[in-house]
Amino acid sequence: MSNKYVEMGMRSPVNLTWEVTLACNLRCSHCLSSSGEKACNELTTAEALDLVEQLHTAGVFQVNFGGGEPFIRPDFEEILAACHSHGIMTCISTNGTLFTPELVARLSRNRLVAIQVSMDGAKRETCDAIRGAGVFDAAIAAVKLLAATKIPTSINTVLTAQNADEIPAMHEMASSLGVSLRVSRFRPSGRGADNWESLRPSPAQLLAFSDWLSSSGDVRTGDSFFSLTSQERQGLGLNLCGAAKLTCCVSPTGHMYPCAFLQTDRFEAGDLRQNSFQEIWDGSEIYESFRNLRIHSCEECQRFDQCHGGCPAVAWHLKNDINGGDPECLERCVTSIADNRLAEAA
Amino acid sequence: MKSSQSTESAGFTRMAAAGIKLHPSCRARQERFGLLFYDCRGPRLLFAATGTLIPADFFGTIRRRDEFPAGVSESQKMALNKFVTQLLEKGFLHEQ
Ligand code: SF4
Ligand code: SF4
Repeated sequence: MSNKYVEMGMRSPVNLTWEVTLACNLRCSHCLSSSGEKACNELTTAEALDLVEQLHTAGVFQVNFGGGEPFIRPDFEEILAACHSHGIMTCISTNGTLFTPELVARLSRNRLVAIQVSMDGAKRETCDAIRGAGVFDAAIAAVKLLAATKIPTSINTVLTAQNADEIPAMHEMASSLGVSLRVSRFRPSGRGADNWESLRPSPAQLLAFSDWLSSSGDVRTGDSFFSLTSQERQGLGLNLCGAAKLTCCVSPTGHMYPCAFLQTDRFEAGDLRQNSFQEIWDGSEIYESFRNLRIHSCEECQRFDQCHGGCPAVAWHLKNDINGGDPECLERCVTSIADNRLAEAA
Repeated sequence: MKSSQSTESAGFTRMAAAGIKLHPSCRARQERFGLLFYDCRGPRLLFAATGTLIPADFFGTIRRRDEFPAGVSESQKMALNKFVTQLLEKGFLHEQ
């Protein structure tokens, strides 16, 4: 990753997360956006299609759709088709419970779509304890439908204390179903903040996961674990926070934020009903502050070049300090385990 | 797509490769420093300090391996040749 070029400023995001609705038929305990009921005043179809035009003009390469459950929006396939008509690649994060053979057949007609089905354990009881009864079976059925097509499909798992031991089994399960595994970081946002203490992986689990990841090159992690990744995985993805530099987030109501985990008033960069996408990307003071963000407290760290201070969203949610350095980075996990051992020995 | 004539000899397959093109999983756009390449399979990025030497849509159509925009000098061609080799090795371009 050439930070020099990123620091020059991009004319638009490379990709962005667009949470198209807050409506969801599930109530997962780690949900980053506390999804459930549709938000008041979500973007209309016309507004959503206009946004797609703006993203095309801006040169955005990829839109990562999330929510809520995107397929609950009746016009979601229309929004997808508008992206595809402009060559914009799309990736849909879904709970998989609304999939039918007809929907999968329609989706598979296009080569620009990839799908991530969320699952939170290799065992039915682990997954359903987080996502709700019956979700494991429904998600597996969706993955099987998708695996029979050419749609690039992955199972997306949020690493929690409850499923940390099942990640290797999830990897095997994904392989046996003919799809890939993607592991995302649990961050204290939305219902995830309410359930943080019960779901957060321990430092020992994070370290064990980091070790496992280093020998599992085919497992994708997006930007989730660059603060934990070993040398072996450098070059497999981004190793810095891309918020406001390479990516951003659009909420169901058309508000823009640096990333999906920072959707609060404090971090609102603009409102698409007031300004254009490009105006907000170019002119937002919040975005400017993220582009100039320097995690000085981490600069002496031997791993600074590998993680650049980690995830500011986690630092914000846990320490109320966007500049504070990632409280769950590799170095801090090692230190925390060593401190605990010393305390136990004393 | 690679040549579908899989029963042909390797020599034929080489001749059949008409040129190079941006991989369907990849995109390119102009930035201040030059071209930014994106590969959604990673996702991976490649930053190329090409300035305005090559338009972002240049590899959107099939190009000969030694084909460059008009007005490019011989020394620039040598640098661009290396650059194209790198794009091929990294999978941003593919042979057609
Ligand atoms: S995590 Fe996903 S499936 Fe679960 S409640 Fe949130 S949006 Fe719905
Ligand atoms: S703030 Fe954290 S979650 Fe958001 S883009 Fe940066 S690293 Fe990723």
